[in-house]
Amino acid sequence: MPSSLILQAVLAGITSGFVYALIGVGIAVIFRGSHIVNAMQGEFAVVGALVAVFASAGAGLPLPLAATLGVAAGAGLGVLIDLLFVRPMKRRKASEESFLLLTIGLAFTLSAGALYFAGRDSHLLPPIVEGVYAIGGATIPNHALWLIALAVAVVAALRLFYRRTLLGLSMAAASADPDGATTIGIDVNRARLLTFLLGGGVGAVAGILVSPLIAMNYHMGIVYTLKGFAAAILGGIANPLGAVVGGIVLGLLESLAAVGFPSGYRDGVAMALLIVIMIVMPNGLIGRAGRVGG
Amino acid sequence: MNALISPKPAAAAEPLLRLQGIAHHFGGLNVLDKVEFDVPAGRIVGLLGPNGSGKTTCFNIVSGFLRPKAGSVRFAGDDVTAWSVQRRGSAGLVRTFQTPKVFEHMTVLENLMVGEYKTTRSGFVGALLSLPGARREYAAMRERATACAERFGLARLLHVVSGALPAGQRRIVELARACIAEPRVLLLDEPSSGLNTEEIETLRHWIERLNADGLTILLVSHDMGLMTVCDQAHVLYFGEIIASGSLAEVQCDPRVREAYLGV
Amino acid sequence: MTDLQKLRIGLTSLAVLAWAVAPLLVERSLLDVLNFSAILAIGGLGVGLLLGQCGIVNLGQSAFYGIGAYATAYGTTALGLPASAAMLIGMASAAAIALAIGWPMLRLGGFYLALATLAVGSIAGVLFFEWDWLTGGTLGVGGIPKLVVAGIELAEPMHYHYFIWPVVAGLSWLALNLIHSRQGLALRAMRDAAPAAEVLSIDLHRLKTVVFVISAVLGALAGSLFAHYVSFVSVQSFTVERSILFLLVPVVAGARSVPGIVIGALFVGLVPELLSALGDMHQVLFGLALVLVVTLLPGGITGLTTRWLARKEPA
Repeated sequence: MPSSLILQAVLAGITSGFVYALIGVGIAVIFRGSHIVNAMQGEFAVVGALVAVFASAGAGLPLPLAATLGVAAGAGLGVLIDLLFVRPMKRRKASEESFLLLTIGLAFTLSAGALYFAGRDSHLLPPIVEGVYAIGGATIPNHALWLIALAVAVVAALRLFYRRTLLGLSMAAASADPDGATTIGIDVNRARLLTFLLGGGVGAVAGILVSPLIAMNYHMGIVYTLKGFAAAILGGIANPLGAVVGGIVLGLLESLAAVGFPSGYRDGVAMALLIVIMIVMPNGLIGRAGRVGG
Repeated sequence: MNALISPKPAAAAEPLLRLQGIAHHFGGLNVLDKVEFDVPAGRIVGLLGPNGSGKTTCFNIVSGFLRPKAGSVRFAGDDVTAWSVQRRGSAGLVRTFQTPKVFEHMTVLENLMVGEYKTTRSGFVGALLSLPGARREYAAMRERATACAERFGLARLLHVVSGALPAGQRRIVELARACIAEPRVLLLDEPSSGLNTEEIETLRHWIERLNADGLTILLVSHDMGLMTVCDQAHVLYFGEIIASGSLAEVQCDPRVREAYLGV
Repeated sequence: MTDLQKLRIGLTSLAVLAWAVAPLLVERSLLDVLNFSAILAIGGLGVGLLLGQCGIVNLGQSAFYGIGAYATAYGTTALGLPASAAMLIGMASAAAIALAIGWPMLRLGGFYLALATLAVGSIAGVLFFEWDWLTGGTLGVGGIPKLVVAGIELAEPMHYHYFIWPVVAGLSWLALNLIHSRQGLALRAMRDAAPAAEVLSIDLHRLKTVVFVISAVLGALAGSLFAHYVSFVSVQSFTVERSILFLLVPVVAGARSVPGIVIGALFVGLVPELLSALGDMHQVLFGLALVLVVTLLPGGITGLTTRWLARKEPA
């Protein structure tokens, strides 16, 4: 097997890995901020990408503006979901399964909505920079390099936000201990709203970054959601950096598996791996709030 | 009542429950260090200590919700340290919880019937097809549960959904349910928490009665008043046993006084 | 006789009457949708038992639905087996696979388990697509013979209607037996307070596995019945979307209620059909309807009835 083929697979794997990482980071953000497992994270990517496509190809807006609109759409969608659905459900202390069913229902609705508004076709965004860059015997699209750089920047910015800014710290506090946070004046509802805003925005960024390379269509939401979860679980769902590592590992495994297996099985391999890893890695390592002794 | 509790065991070489060398830590934090004590059959043993002393961790280790980093738990002659909660329950090691865990959506009668799971055996096939044997057993379960409810003074609450009950009654339901499961030792975790004075008196009455009928009890509490039912007590402080003996003895122990009243 | 009992008897009688006269009053296309609702009810019953009694979200029912359908399709066409043999093979395979993957998988909790079931459904979808020697891939398998029951061939929707709803009723009876049994008590205990159930020596893992296997067998049965009904199956029917439909049945119904499964299945079967008159938006509206049910009606449709009744009867 020529090494250039492997190298090509590695480069492709890292690229898609960062996309999965961003989706996973969005899931981790929302989970940390609201204890909700967001089964519709991939839909933020779809919405963000499709809005950007229609803004740029349909309305003729310059790419940066179209991209910004896409991110705003994702963030706005997140806010809407929190206000309309999550907030009332939290107020009546709905069960964990109910929230899961809610996000599943939303995934279904948004995917159907994308089908309605954008049809069955796949849509491509223009890349940030055209052309490819040669490494060894392989090539990587220039846009992919930008993708990686921007993804790293987004994750770094998020980390800084949560650790250094007052707003970020108070959001972290609000999710860790809602009652305690309220007593020191943190508005838990507002903190959660911002969480969904961030989660939606990050999801949209992922979609916008990937659609010049892989065309976006209504069905991709669920695929990205699954990959994002795999990334988050591999890395530890409550730890945003972990999702990056998890995403890259997943991307690489998938890419290298495609070299070995026929392409139809690729997704199956990723899914099988996901199950195996979840079973073999005990829950305790994955950062869920554990039993506290005393 | 005697039918519900296992008869007093013959004098055994080993106490019914024995902890040896139990040590545990969370991350780098030492929570328990060389904890050892026995619970002889037929006695009420109390585990005392201020908040954060490790009582809950110790309790979780004895009941099987936590595996200790070191040490062993022996029950009725077996090393049960690695046994699951369910296996310990089968063997007769039954606990209650600090907040009474009744089955919220089920009636008091149904709660008690769940307690009989251990002593009954009809399987899925019998259940699905509503076979006569399964139906008979179910009816017998219902009768026994009704009788148990009467003995514990819960008769008029039989068909109340247990989620609607106040804390004191939930505690009695949980206790009755544990007893119907024919325990050999009953572990009570802060049983008086959330109860008013009158309810604590009822609880105390039941603990004494059950013990008089031969049930061995390990009691964790920070309520000194309730602890007077204990034959023996051990005091935990920062994960170590600092005093053992009768309740009067440990209350006079200078180290205990310092722990509870000192700086 | 309490109000609730009267209501139940009244509703059941009404339902039986409706079943008896439906083919005479309802046009063929709607009868077709009703039959499909019955099939949804069977698969949905399995998912409902997992959700309502064990609190487990199962997104993989399409896998077992497909196993049943393809066992019937392949068995009756390529292998020339009688329908009942193929159906039994389908159910047995589903049970075996559910046992094999369920045993390790059901150790996972809450969300991780849901994700794992989703992965199972996805993997099955991939395999159904790739193994086209068995499934015919997108071209599908056709020529599946109609079921013959007591000498009558179920060729028309009307025939099927008179066959399948009693099957649904029979399975519901089995499910109700389960719920009102020693095992049913254990399941509900597990759902309400798992640690307390464990202490009472209930083996949670074994319980979950058994219910998972039951759910899989029901899924396979639904798949076989589907194959015999439509006589042609292809991979499009066995995707994650189908799993979601199955899940919606108990969600809409009110997960804890078995009779409600029928109502849920009718909703999930009929509403998209009715909404399709509104054009392409119907999928979106359907999704919104679901979301609204989850948000506003935590007990599902049957929960509404219970609450309404509770208000009518003074304590």
